[in-house]
Amino acid sequence: MKSTQVLLLCLVLLATGLTEPRAQDTPAKAFENVTIHTADGNTIDNGTIIWRNGIIEKMGTGIQIPFDAYVIDGGDSLHIYPGFLDGMATWGSPDLPDQYETPDRPGEPSYERAGIQPQRHPSNLLNAKDSNLSGAQKKGFTTALLGLKRFMLPGQLDLFFLNGRQTGDYLFSRGKGILAKFEDAPGAAYPNTLMGMMAKYRQLWYDAEALQQQKSYFATAKGQYPAPLGDEVLEALVPVMNREQPLYFVVDTKENIDRLLKLQDELNFSLVIVSGKEAYARTDQLKSRKIPVLASIDLPEKPDWKVKEEKAERDTAEVLEEREEITEEMRIFRKQQMAAYKASVENIRKLMEAGVKVGYATNEMKLSDFRENLATLRKEGGLTDQQILAMLTRNTAEILGVNRELGGLQPGQIASFSLFTKPFEAEKTEIKYSISGGIISEFDVKTPSKNKENDE
Amino acid sequence: MNSMLNLKYTTLVAILLLLAAGSVDAQEKGSVLIRNGTVITITNGNMPNTDLLIENGVITDIGQNLDAPRGIETVDATGKYVMPGIIDAHSHIAGVNINEWTNPVTAEVTMEESIDPTDINIYWALAGGVTTIHLMHGSANVIGGQNETMKLRYGGTMDDLRFKDAPRTIKFALGENPTRVHGQGFDVKPRTRMGVEQVIRDHFDAALDYKRKRQAYLEAKQRYDRRKRGTPPIPVAKNLRMEVLNDIIEGEILVHCHSYRADEILMLMRVFNDYGVKNYTFQHANEAFKVAPELRKNGAYTSVFSDWWAYKFEVYYSTAYNAAILNANGVKNSINSDSGELIRHLNHEAAKAVHYGGTSKLDALKMITINPAAQLGIDDKVGSLEVGKHGDVAIWSGHPLSIYSICETTYVDGKKYFDRDQDPDDMRIEVDPEVDFDETRYSGTLSGRDEDTCLRGAHILFDKNGMTFNEGDK
Repeated sequence: MKSTQVLLLCLVLLATGLTEPRAQDTPAKAFENVTIHTADGNTIDNGTIIWRNGIIEKMGTGIQIPFDAYVIDGGDSLHIYPGFLDGMATWGSPDLPDQYETPDRPGEPSYERAGIQPQRHPSNLLNAKDSNLSGAQKKGFTTALLGLKRFMLPGQLDLFFLNGRQTGDYLFSRGKGILAKFEDAPGAAYPNTLMGMMAKYRQLWYDAEALQQQKSYFATAKGQYPAPLGDEVLEALVPVMNREQPLYFVVDTKENIDRLLKLQDELNFSLVIVSGKEAYARTDQLKSRKIPVLASIDLPEKPDWKVKEEKAERDTAEVLEEREEITEEMRIFRKQQMAAYKASVENIRKLMEAGVKVGYATNEMKLSDFRENLATLRKEGGLTDQQILAMLTRNTAEILGVNRELGGLQPGQIASFSLFTKPFEAEKTEIKYSISGGIISEFDVKTPSKNKENDE
Repeated sequence: MNSMLNLKYTTLVAILLLLAAGSVDAQEKGSVLIRNGTVITITNGNMPNTDLLIENGVITDIGQNLDAPRGIETVDATGKYVMPGIIDAHSHIAGVNINEWTNPVTAEVTMEESIDPTDINIYWALAGGVTTIHLMHGSANVIGGQNETMKLRYGGTMDDLRFKDAPRTIKFALGENPTRVHGQGFDVKPRTRMGVEQVIRDHFDAALDYKRKRQAYLEAKQRYDRRKRGTPPIPVAKNLRMEVLNDIIEGEILVHCHSYRADEILMLMRVFNDYGVKNYTFQHANEAFKVAPELRKNGAYTSVFSDWWAYKFEVYYSTAYNAAILNANGVKNSINSDSGELIRHLNHEAAKAVHYGGTSKLDALKMITINPAAQLGIDDKVGSLEVGKHGDVAIWSGHPLSIYSICETTYVDGKKYFDRDQDPDDMRIEVDPEVDFDETRYSGTLSGRDEDTCLRGAHILFDKNGMTFNEGDK
């Protein structure tokens, strides 16, 4: 199903109030008395935002609220930001077994045993009990492209509006791409190495090509020609071979990026890089090939010795004492380690400066690290709040090809936004409301806001 | 002291800059005039008080009192020995994975895609005068993956490290390793040495069969697509494994075969004669001395350890005279390391052939230079000091076969990659920001030989009781 059709279906569902039994004519909803931060960095103080059937109708100051609207007063203290989009997360992916049986012939495992299942859809397998689905909303995410855990080709990527345990009911678009990784088959099964996976990717393409050829001959031949056997795995790769669907490839080291680009040269697929922790080292290639990066912000911790050194800067005596113990070898090591740390935290900025489109992907990062790592990007990574916001919203929407519908706050766009108790960059800001595809979720917040009446 | 430190920093910075530039300027070349050393040419005797000129990565002149072209660095090698960079025909350093051990035949995989360019062992090997290595797939499979011949351009990318225009090579393995992993471990063929032979024959036959069918399909497809008449052909998918096996049969890929026993060495030569495979090298080959005339007759090469054995049953019948006997019988033999430790003193390993078997010094040196070059099909480019060959050179403090000599400087393509006078304390080129200094100081192979590196990656199959790992699954 095409994404527009899914969108239509979704809107019809919303309009008919399937999830929220109401009258046929769905009333509007509105927040008033809030500060609205649009994706391009403008703010509207004391603003109102109105949406109906999941679509933003109006936004601004002093606008009239329709008589039928369900209105929430922001109490002058809430800040609205466009909902964050996660370019790739594995929330809701079913748990994996601890152990895998050794196949009778480890060199010829089934596709499933080898972790090659590009036909699978998260929307068919979603574990709605995963607390990350609502946890992400509490961090400001309203939309997520969900994939399945582990494996070389774990499945398709489906785009969901996040709505806690109901997330499965709010599928926005199926099959935005196919998730791919350099993850070998678990246990004793082929492919078990990087070089094995490289060969396997090629062989899958060759096999899919042959199947396509046979199908096309079968369609034109008038009898006397064997019907091709159905193969859902190989057939799922055809849209990628035809560049109708991109590969979302999780890759971090510069060497693995090189390997991936080599595969791209040979197999000619369109590509989105997910995570890309060392992508800064290959900016020229990514730019010339127009490969966007859904960047990980799973940043390394600053080295302990550096943290200590910074702390001790106020106490000169301690610093001197510390320095006396450093050997020449250690000094060089530290210099290199700081360079490596800086390269990691500056990855995204380097990519942006080089003109590579950078969105965001949680990938396997713990959500609890999200805010802290954003702070590191700001403090050490040289990113402005505006760049961070753009990465989390507009840029990701563009990379996923949904920027007309999502990633901003404009009339006509889907109502997906979050209401923070303080500006997004403030240290102790929290999410009070998450509006995802027009549906409101309300959360308890610890810090009291100015207007206590709204604070339940 | 301070100036020493500065010097070290400068080198480090230079190397880091080189690293940064690595992806831009692939396979950088240099120029240098090495003056007044004893030049061990390997192919044209030793030349005392001789200059060696390398320009833009290539040796352009060897002779006395050469004029230094403008802007070229001159190095004084008076009292020193200048020899070709050592070539290690069997190495597993700088590899990410070594064994795709899940199938008895994995010809489709290649170590070219398993290079770790940041491995500190590359630098340590340079410090032993090594400039070229043969990064081999492991020996878990009868027909393992393709190998990669690399120059030790430390600081470069994977691509920078590749030896341009070196022929493709592949790893075969006979005997205990493949029978243990696949036969004992997985209960699939081969369980015995007979099975090993049959796996090779079956796969060669399958490859020939595939080639015939694939060619017939491609021809029929071309005809049908042009005329659009008759019945369209049934596709035969391109098969990477079968394509590589055909390349072996057609001589485009050189075989390097892990082997120990004389009987299995003879077996493989019979198989290769049946399929017309030529130009192959037996690796390890501890019992090769027993069949030296047969090896010579078949034009087979050997690449052996000087004195390393008894690490498994099939390696007990061994002798330190192996290299000397092979050499005396006219078998082109090399001495390899198969180890991140041995690779740092392959000159000592070669010297053992002189010590035990009375091999001439020149022949011993050939075993770590021109002979491995021939086995890798690169002897027209490296392995001796001749005009027109690559500027891969090491300068030694004394004769390289002396236990007291040390390698002082190593050049690859005329570019200096190791200099004992400018050897910073930490030459790693990649440091994990989150790992503690003490944890990362040494990789596990600082001293001592690695046990059975050929089986790296396949170890999870074994525990101290033997093959119990898989029984639980069955």
